[in-house]
Amino acid sequence: MALTFDYQGGIYPPERKSRSSQASLQYAPLPARVTLPLRQHSGRPATACVTPGQHVQVGTLIARRDGLISADVHASISGTVTQVSEHAIQIESDNLDTRQPLAPLDWRETDALTLLARLDESGVVGLGGAGFPTQVKARVIERHAIDTLIINAAECEPYITADDITLQRYPGEVLEGAQLMASLCGAGQIVIGIEDNKPEAIAALKQAITQSRPAPITLGVIPIRYPSGSEKLLIKTLLNRTVPSLGLPADVGVLCHNPGTLLAALQAVRDGQPLVQRVVTLTGEAISRPGNYWVRLGTPIDELLAYAGLERSRLDKVVQGGPMMGSTLETLSAPATKTTNCLIAATQSELPPAPPASPCIRCGACENVCPVQLLPQQLHWYARAQEDDKLERYHLFDCIECGACSYVCPSHIPLVDDYREAKSRLRHQRIEAAKADHAKHRFEFRQARLAREEAEKQARRHARQAQNRPGAASSTEATAAPQADLRSLRIAQTAAKAAVRKAEKVLAREAQQAPNESHEDLEMQLATARENLKAADLQLAQARQSASAPEESP
Amino acid sequence: MSMLHASQATDAPVSMTSTSPTAPLMRWVMAATLPGIIAMTAWFGLGVLSNIVLAAAFGLLLESVVLRLRKRPVVPALNDSSALLTGVLLGASLPPASPWWLIGVGMVAAVVIAKQLYGGLGHNPFNPAMVGYALLLVSFPAYMTLWAPPQPLISDTLWAQIMGTLPATQIDALSGATPLDAFKQKADGLSAAQFWASDPLPAGTLNAWRMISLAWLAGGILLLAKRIISWHIPAALLGSMLILAALFHLLDADQFASPTLHLLTGATLFGAFFIATDPVSAATSRRGKLLYGAGIGILIVVIRNLGGYPDAVAFGVLLMNLCVPLIDLYTVPRPQGHYRGVP
Repeated sequence: MALTFDYQGGIYPPERKSRSSQASLQYAPLPARVTLPLRQHSGRPATACVTPGQHVQVGTLIARRDGLISADVHASISGTVTQVSEHAIQIESDNLDTRQPLAPLDWRETDALTLLARLDESGVVGLGGAGFPTQVKARVIERHAIDTLIINAAECEPYITADDITLQRYPGEVLEGAQLMASLCGAGQIVIGIEDNKPEAIAALKQAITQSRPAPITLGVIPIRYPSGSEKLLIKTLLNRTVPSLGLPADVGVLCHNPGTLLAALQAVRDGQPLVQRVVTLTGEAISRPGNYWVRLGTPIDELLAYAGLERSRLDKVVQGGPMMGSTLETLSAPATKTTNCLIAATQSELPPAPPASPCIRCGACENVCPVQLLPQQLHWYARAQEDDKLERYHLFDCIECGACSYVCPSHIPLVDDYREAKSRLRHQRIEAAKADHAKHRFEFRQARLAREEAEKQARRHARQAQNRPGAASSTEATAAPQADLRSLRIAQTAAKAAVRKAEKVLAREAQQAPNESHEDLEMQLATARENLKAADLQLAQARQSASAPEESP
Repeated sequence: MSMLHASQATDAPVSMTSTSPTAPLMRWVMAATLPGIIAMTAWFGLGVLSNIVLAAAFGLLLESVVLRLRKRPVVPALNDSSALLTGVLLGASLPPASPWWLIGVGMVAAVVIAKQLYGGLGHNPFNPAMVGYALLLVSFPAYMTLWAPPQPLISDTLWAQIMGTLPATQIDALSGATPLDAFKQKADGLSAAQFWASDPLPAGTLNAWRMISLAWLAGGILLLAKRIISWHIPAALLGSMLILAALFHLLDADQFASPTLHLLTGATLFGAFFIATDPVSAATSRRGKLLYGAGIGILIVVIRNLGGYPDAVAFGVLLMNLCVPLIDLYTVPRPQGHYRGVP
């Protein structure tokens, strides 16, 4: 694509990608033990469905999704479950690596519902970082018209090369995955957004594009600049569409996927392989064999780093994610999860601690680099002073936390930390303010659950009666269930269905906007709507049965 | 959470913004004052340097005393060079060879009252140097409004002037007026042409002021080139000043000075590049900076032409400092994703 559109701001940090991008993709050794957290995705943690001592194979479901925004977790090695705790499941390997795949599907021959169910039961989530459940994102077609699927391969953060290597090794499969997801969301075209510092990946894609069917694919090579890979900026750059403030890409007809996610989606469908491994960039000056590795989920990070040649004496800190938006790891015994895209074992001189901050003199360097045109210097002032109405006025919640402002600040002020703190304080205030509502929603859920249980009881009693005294039952019930009643029940059931859809829509939206927040209240409202629907279904089925019974034996 | 920082990322292949920690920033500004200071010294003698040295010394001294009283770390604050810069700027604004106590009073107003009492660097709503200057101007007009004519590097009375021991009669004898002042004070019936024909200023005065203004302009261009300041404030200030001065001049050329006289003989260029651009007390968004600069330019012309003072950069800057919170509030840029007309 010749034409790319510009956005203001952005920075050019050192890339530091060459160390890990030169080595070929390797398989990390099979770990002797894995620890699989129940929460490796945005939303609620999954619920464990195995017990200690149980034997599992690669791909065995070990924890089920709970609520809408959640994802299944599968065993990533074969062996024995040794521990099931509140947060994680531990598996000891039997070194056999036997697999329990799902049935392979040909996505071109399979209906959408089956494909969505497959993504769901494979535990596929976004591998770019946030870990948003892919099946929820794929179901966007129920709510929005999508015309373009974007493959977000910009990978603009320094150090990370996982997408680059994935595209070099599996260009055809990534595009096949993109075709699959495009057909699911109804997108008529696919656009690849990739920074021009990945010539090998670009060459591989050019080759693969010619064979990819049916949606036409355009390759959008964009100049390097951080943070071009930020979803909204990439959409602006490639399509010149502006996603509204606090809105979603779907609002302008776009869906973005990371290449790794597309590969995982294809493997889940074509090979029946649930998400049990991912590509992780291991890099940093403190390791001697940097590169990209296929890593089984749950592998301890210290094992991975040791395999890549960690020199402990030189190690200063390990950063998970990129140096701009990632976080420093507290402990190296933590496992690699679905959202671990990069581990940087940095030396002291490589990522030195920031010098002490000095006062802001409003020089405006931050304003010049802010990619969403905020005034970081003013936000800083009001965040420190906790002037909440001013924070809203200066659009705090439009901040994408890219860290460009902190990067250039001559006073070394940790600006993004300030904004995150202010955001979470404001969110907390909102939750506090809505506490009464939450209590009401909990009460409503309880009522709905009781009503559903009552309806089930009645259904069972009715079934028993019908079995024991077929003739008598039908004659008495027939008068009690006139046609009008059936009609109102049908209306009630339709309304309950609509309520579920609405609750799903609201939750999916909110969760996609803020994938790292808790959306407990909305999950509760969705559960309430589902209970109501179940009750309505039962009542309707029962009334239908009674209504049809007299006709059969008049 | 950014763990990379521009000042430390030395392997950066390209750097769009030439960023630097606060202290080098201030030092670059001081370096950019050199052409102006050298030009002033060349025409007005060592009295210019004595002003600057004394003011800078007072600045450092007062800053460290107040920081100690406020129980704040002294060394990092002195290292940021902001007090030094305030001293240089105030020193360059004062008439050459001002008495030491005058400079001291001005620096107390600038550093202690305008800066530290408001919370130190980054918290002062008013430009410290201009607070000092304005206080001196209204308190000691005799010393502040009379500039000596161009003179040799070392004058006979230099030491006595600095020590403040020169008798008042001799001060009057020594002093002249700035071109703007002289034009303002001209007799009512006199036309502009007649005024200039009468040779109202000591030889070389007009030329000296022009050269000094151009030297400040050179320093300002250095600041722009190093991206220490953005173009918005100087451009808006000079633009609005020139337009308004031209309008006045067209209205009555005999009463109101020409735009070039406004531009080249007062503190206009010094103010536009070195005073109005102080980021702490200026408006902050790009649109806000344009408004702020334009406001100063308008005030300079209005006060010079209609008010009681021959020069007005200090008052223009201080009055617009007052407006900064309001300007900032109404010039918040529209972030990406916000559409026009939707709040």
